Amino acid sequence: MTVQACGDYAIIGKPAPKKDAWIKVTGEAKYADDLFLAGMLHGKLLRSPHPHAKISHIDTSRAEKLAGVRAVITGKDFPGIKYGNMPQTRDYLPLALDKVRYIGDEVAAVAAIDEEVAEEALDLIRVEYEPLPAVFDAEEAMKPGAPQLHDHAANNMSAETAFQFGDVAKGFAESDYLQEDLFETQPVKQGMLEPHACIGQWDETGKITLWASKQSPYVVWKQLSMGLGIETSRIRVIQTYVGGGFSGGKQEAMPMDFCAVVLSKKCGRPVKFVHNMDEVLTIGHMRHPMKIWLRTGVKKDGTLLAQHLKIVADGGAYSSIGQLSMYLPGAMLNLPYRVPNVKYEAYRIFTNNGFCGALRGHTIPQVCFARDSQLDLIAEKLGLDPIDIRLKNGLRPGETTPNGFRIGTFGFAECVEKAMEASGWKEKRGKLPRYRGIGMGCGSLVSGARVMGHSASTAQVNVHEDGTVALVTGSTDVGQGADTVLSMIAAEVLGVGLEDIRFSLVDTDITPADPGTFSSRVTFWTGNAVKIAAEDARRQLAEIAAEKLKAQIDDDIVFRDRQVYVKSDPQRRLRFDELVRLAQHRQGKVIMGKGAYTSGEALIDFRTGYGNMSPAYTPSACVVEVEVDPQTGQVTVAGVWGAHDCGFPLNPMLVKGQVLGATVMGIGQALYENLLRVDGKVMNPSFRDYKMPLTEDMPRLANVGHVNVITNDPSGPFGAKEAGEGAAAGVIAAVANAVYNATGVRFRSLPFSPDKILFALKESDRKAPAR
Amino acid sequence: MGYLRRLPRFDYLAPRTVDEACSALAERRGDARLFAGGTDLVLQMKRREITPRAIIGLKGVASLSVIRSQAGGIAIGAMTTFGAIESSPLIREKHDFLCETAAGIGSPEIRAVATVGGNLSGALPCADFPAPLMTLGAIVRLRSVRGERALALEDFFMGFAETAAAPDEILTEIELPSRPGFSAGAYVKFHDRHAMDMTTTGVAAFVTWDRARGLIGDVRIALSVSGPVPLRVKNAEAALRGRRLTEEALVEAGLLACREAQPRASWRAREEFRRELIGVLTQRALRQAGEKARVAAERGNA
Repeated sequence: MTVQACGDYAIIGKPAPKKDAWIKVTGEAKYADDLFLAGMLHGKLLRSPHPHAKISHIDTSRAEKLAGVRAVITGKDFPGIKYGNMPQTRDYLPLALDKVRYIGDEVAAVAAIDEEVAEEALDLIRVEYEPLPAVFDAEEAMKPGAPQLHDHAANNMSAETAFQFGDVAKGFAESDYLQEDLFETQPVKQGMLEPHACIGQWDETGKITLWASKQSPYVVWKQLSMGLGIETSRIRVIQTYVGGGFSGGKQEAMPMDFCAVVLSKKCGRPVKFVHNMDEVLTIGHMRHPMKIWLRTGVKKDGTLLAQHLKIVADGGAYSSIGQLSMYLPGAMLNLPYRVPNVKYEAYRIFTNNGFCGALRGHTIPQVCFARDSQLDLIAEKLGLDPIDIRLKNGLRPGETTPNGFRIGTFGFAECVEKAMEASGWKEKRGKLPRYRGIGMGCGSLVSGARVMGHSASTAQVNVHEDGTVALVTGSTDVGQGADTVLSMIAAEVLGVGLEDIRFSLVDTDITPADPGTFSSRVTFWTGNAVKIAAEDARRQLAEIAAEKLKAQIDDDIVFRDRQVYVKSDPQRRLRFDELVRLAQHRQGKVIMGKGAYTSGEALIDFRTGYGNMSPAYTPSACVVEVEVDPQTGQVTVAGVWGAHDCGFPLNPMLVKGQVLGATVMGIGQALYENLLRVDGKVMNPSFRDYKMPLTEDMPRLANVGHVNVITNDPSGPFGAKEAGEGAAAGVIAAVANAVYNATGVRFRSLPFSPDKILFALKESDRKAPAR
Repeated sequence: MGYLRRLPRFDYLAPRTVDEACSALAERRGDARLFAGGTDLVLQMKRREITPRAIIGLKGVASLSVIRSQAGGIAIGAMTTFGAIESSPLIREKHDFLCETAAGIGSPEIRAVATVGGNLSGALPCADFPAPLMTLGAIVRLRSVRGERALALEDFFMGFAETAAAPDEILTEIELPSRPGFSAGAYVKFHDRHAMDMTTTGVAAFVTWDRARGLIGDVRIALSVSGPVPLRVKNAEAALRGRRLTEEALVEAGLLACREAQPRASWRAREEFRRELIGVLTQRALRQAGEKARVAAERGNA
């Protein structure tokens, strides 16, 4: 593999609209709910109204007799095998067997000729529940005598992690100053606009096909196999267009998927399920709410010596990927600042709430909020500039963190400086009128991680006789632009146009296996695989071209602008499509390139925490300017400027979209979003009441800035690293620090709602009337 | 469980005139609901909170969506959408703050279907339009097969989702008396987001300036989402009449309005927070309306 110098690219590094933009805006793209199969039935799920109860009996007979109902199933229609992501976290069942653990837990499913009949049938299913005492608070759930959710998890301990690197006691002893704070974060939903949807078919040969909106179709494939007790060779998952993923359930096999295929088996017809948005917002998968205790020791000059982090996370009723969720905050405390001594303890606790998992940044933004809020507190105590304390402690390329992260490219200082510059920090900080403030927050993220099981990405490049290319990978475009960026990589290598590349959706019978879309891995991992595959195809073509053009193969055949020529004598050239026809028609060859990439990094034991998780790490810095209305407590975001080290922006337009999207989600969590629950019941399961920020809540475009810090990572495809998640990590702390700068009041609990701010301001005025 | 469902089955009746609508309502008395914009009704039906056998759609009754000038003021048909109010030159000329209030309701999509009559007849505490209309002394016209009657809007709201309209009566029109000289209104509301959000609490104020004495002449203040029904805060009003428009007077009015309000605590907002807001928004609404009326008086623009 040759590493090309950046800058001399035909396609890479130039802004290009998403390949699927046209079919999406015109409504041509077929989402799962747009698909209709002949004879298709409609399914609906019956959900538990109780937060915690035993199921003593389910009578489906009346529902089955309703005209138009074709089948009704319960947990007994499945083999009773628990499924999940990791061996320790397998606690999902397609439908509850003996117990429900949260309001919304799936209990039974119906297939009927239309949605109306299916809904009506749900009313006719009689479930006898014996309500059990429930627990909704993680700390309550840890206490002896608390209601127990799972037999295997004593004291409701879902996942536990503890590790120490260096000597924290010594670090604290050597510190000039200790700062200790307790932070609290709220449950936040992914908020994807397309609800979960699928069609399941169990045909007469016993082959199972699932068409579904999935961000990680191969995970779904394996989990279906696990939960059904059926070999993967009999299961085929076909991905449809995805209207937003964010790990809101589309990364897994959900109860609807299992029910669709098993109902199909019973009825002999395909069955479609589509969640309503209120179901989406009620059921599991959301960001972990946490209590975060953080103690930090520093020297007078601001040098960080030690940090001790303790987390209690409300995991909700099921595990999801809890072990990983609990590893990440402690691991990522090692970035982007140099902390020689780190101690970490985390507990993920089962409660009778909807369950938690990943959401853009997973459990990292919560900790960045705490850590970067606390950095400002420390800076103020020590009389230091908040920028200086960040720059002083920022990691530099080439360092290895105490937990074993090997830092390659890492433009942290540049991120901080660019964000300062873009925001006009120096002109503003300390000079803004009262109730207007500016603050910074920083964060860091991985470019994909080595995970258990299959970690590699694979790509096939099939070159066709008209000079176009079918690019086949196991990766999904969830709106982030994978289809475009992966196609750009192939187009660049083969010297063809972006429009010459066709990107296929995943079909587990056809496309190569892939772990899925998570941890910001696709551009880096699949991108590398695509580059290798395209280079393989190019090599095959170069040999034929060299012969035809009477060039030494060493002469370096150039592929560019759909032309193939000899570098030393560009007059000797061929059209790309001519070359392909020459290979295929005259020589009987088929030009198919293949490539696979895996990072070769260590498999991390999430409980001990040591090892290099990712081949590359990205830092980011964000500056937010706010105005606070002291009479209503309402915060208006006046400006937001970020800088992010994405290695090299393969498509600057998409990088900007990703970074701004991440930033808006950060602002949403800081100021607006909160899944409100009363005794386990979600009170705001609609986008009217679950308040994500809207255009009107954003600053004017002139006050929104994004700067790419370019570090050309040698292990990323064309120098690229992660771009979609890291930018969200520092945003919440930036808002917190800006609100503090505006009001003099420090908020440690999310979200910073008007009510909270207004009453805190009143309290602070009462204590110190003359500020 | 309260999950949203497909709409239940119902008969759809499409009268073309008010008389036809009244007959249909009388005939299907008890099991029919009037359908205006449907922004509340559809949700209530999808949640199965109500399951009427018949829906009487009023969209085809053209006479109900007319905005017109009449002796002594203007009349707004009950089926007028907020979008139409927002862009009505007549309403902008007579009561411009109603255009602003309409423009602040929901999203453009909602404003294209939601109607003023629905906003009043639904009698939900979160409705934005009753309070400003109350400060203008609005009268509502009710029609039934039995005849027609008029009622002050203030007497229209009986409780949560409850109005003085009889089951066979249709709200047809809202009448607004002519605006006195040197007067102006304002409606100020708060919600968590900056737009397209449900009102936490809102305050409407209408001030008539006493030009001769340079004082507040008449004043009316009405609150949204501050009790089970939209309400006038008459102590606050009384305290302001004949006063100068000073910060002190506004603060006092805010405190009085707080005292008269009956906001409830819910998962949407704490009672204490709503009370704080009522005070602040009362001041803001009065300042806006008062300043505008004062300037009009000083410039002699009636």
